[in-house]
Amino acid sequence: MNKVEVRNLTKSFGDLLVLDDVSFDVKDGEFLAIVGPTGCGKTTFLNSLTQIYDIDSGSILLNGEPVNLKKHSLAYIMQEYSTMSWLNVRQNVQFGLEIKGFSRKEVREKAERALELVGLTQFRDYYPNQLSASMLQRVAIARAFAVQPDLLLMDEPYGQLDLELRFKLEDELLNLWRKLGTTVIFITHNIEEAVYLSERILVLSNKPTAIKETIENRLPYPRSVTSEAFVELRNRVTALIKWW
Amino acid sequence: MNRKKKRSFAGSRTEALVYGILSLVILLAVWHLVSLGGRIGKFFPSPFLVIRDFANAFVHAIGRNTMLEHIFFSLRRVLVGFGLGVVVGIPLGLVMACSKAGRAFFMPLFSIVRPIPGLAWIPLAILWFGLGEQSKYFLICMTALVGITMQTFFGALYADPVLIGAARMLGAGKFQLFVHIILPSAIPNIFAGLQGSFAGAWCAVIAAEMIRSDEGTGWIIFNGMNYANTAQVIVGMVAIGLVGLIASTLLKALERRLCAWNIQGK
Repeated sequence: MNKVEVRNLTKSFGDLLVLDDVSFDVKDGEFLAIVGPTGCGKTTFLNSLTQIYDIDSGSILLNGEPVNLKKHSLAYIMQEYSTMSWLNVRQNVQFGLEIKGFSRKEVREKAERALELVGLTQFRDYYPNQLSASMLQRVAIARAFAVQPDLLLMDEPYGQLDLELRFKLEDELLNLWRKLGTTVIFITHNIEEAVYLSERILVLSNKPTAIKETIENRLPYPRSVTSEAFVELRNRVTALIKWW
Repeated sequence: MNRKKKRSFAGSRTEALVYGILSLVILLAVWHLVSLGGRIGKFFPSPFLVIRDFANAFVHAIGRNTMLEHIFFSLRRVLVGFGLGVVVGIPLGLVMACSKAGRAFFMPLFSIVRPIPGLAWIPLAILWFGLGEQSKYFLICMTALVGITMQTFFGALYADPVLIGAARMLGAGKFQLFVHIILPSAIPNIFAGLQGSFAGAWCAVIAAEMIRSDEGTGWIIFNGMNYANTAQVIVGMVAIGLVGLIASTLLKALERRLCAWNIQGK
C-alpha cells in the first residue's frame, strides 16, 4: 500500500523552475532516501510536500488524501536544531503530543517512551543550552517519533554532526524505524548515508529537478560500509549525481 | 619555557571586590580634596557631610517627608507610569509583529512617536493633565512605552522560523504558534526592554518632580537647588543612583529566574 503518492509535482520561484513534473510513491513503512547534487532543490521538494510552499501544479496524497497538517501526523527533522530553548528535554518531547491533543497521561507515557528510545531519560530535566549537538538532534528525533507520525521527513538531520556521532545516530534511527515501522523520507547529499540507511534511493537531477533514477537498495541490515556490495552501490549512485 | 599563566580578572570575585572598593575610596578621596579648596569647594560639600545628611534623611524629614517616604512617592509614580507603558507596549509590540494589518496600521504612527524623547512631552503633559500626578504618569509612560514596544516587536518578529516550521509541522495552529513559540521567543527581548525602559522611567520621574511636586527624590534635588543646599542636591542624586541600582539588580534577578533557559539571562 502506498503511504505517499506524489503526482506531477511542479514548483517554480518566479522564472526559476525548481521542481519539474516529479512523480513517485512511498510505500507504507518504507525508508526512502532522496539524494541529489547540492542546490538541486531537495529542500524545496520537502517544503512543497509539507505545504511550507504552495505548489504550482500536481498533487501530493498522504494515505490517499491531500496532505492536511491538522489531520495527518507529520514530523519534520531538519539540519538546524529545532528544540525550543525555553522548554526542557521532556517538555520538548511532549510538545508535539500536547499540540495534537493527547491526554496528559498519554503525553507523559509516550514522551517517556520516546526519551527511553533515544537514551535521554536521565537528561529529561535538562535545557537545550546544557546539551551537546547530538543530544539536541536526539531530542528532535524523540519529539518526532513520540507523535507516531504517518510520515517522518528528515532533511539532512545529521549534516552538522561529526562522523562518529553521525554513525551512532544513523544506527539509532534504523533501530527506531525498524521497531516502530514509521515511513521515512530522508533527504541527504551524503551518498554513503543514503545507501547505509534506505531501502530505496531517488536520485534527483540538477535544476529543474526531476527524478533521474530510482534505485532499489536490497542490501541486508545491518549494513557494512566497507562491503563490496555497499561500495558498488555507493559508486553507482555517485556516478549518477556526479557533476565534477 | 617558563610562562606565567594569564589569569582571568573576572574569574576572581575577591579581586573584583577589592578593585570595586578601591575605586570608591579613590572617588571619595578626590571628592574630599576638591571640596576642601577654592571656588568649587564652596558649592561642593565633602563626601562625609553628604553621607551624614543622607543617613539623617532617613530619620529627619527633608521638607515634609523622610527619605524613605520620598523614595516611596517617586517609586509609586514610576510603577504606575511604567506599568501603563507595559500594559500598552507589550500588546502593541505583539500586534505589530504578528499581524500585517496591525503593523501597517500602527507602525507609521509609532515611527513618528518613537524618536520623540519622553521629556519633549512635558509641555503637552502639563497642558493636558495639569501639574498633578496624572501628567507625571503620562510622561513616565511615554518614556517607557517606546523601548518596551520596540523590544517586544523585534523579539516576536524574529522568532526562529525553524521553530515555527517545526511547530507547524506538528500541527500547531496560529494561536498555538503564538502561545508556544512567538511569545516565549520574545521574552528575553521583553526583559531587555523592561530593564532599559525602567531606567528611562526613573529618569523621567526625576524630571517630572522637578517641574512641580512637594515630594519625591526629584523634589529633593530641586528644593536643594532653590536653597543653594548642594549637600541636599547630592543626597537626592545618591538616592536616585542607589534606587536605580537596586531596581536594576532586582529585574536582572527576576530575568535569571524566569529565563534560566536563556543564555543571555545566565
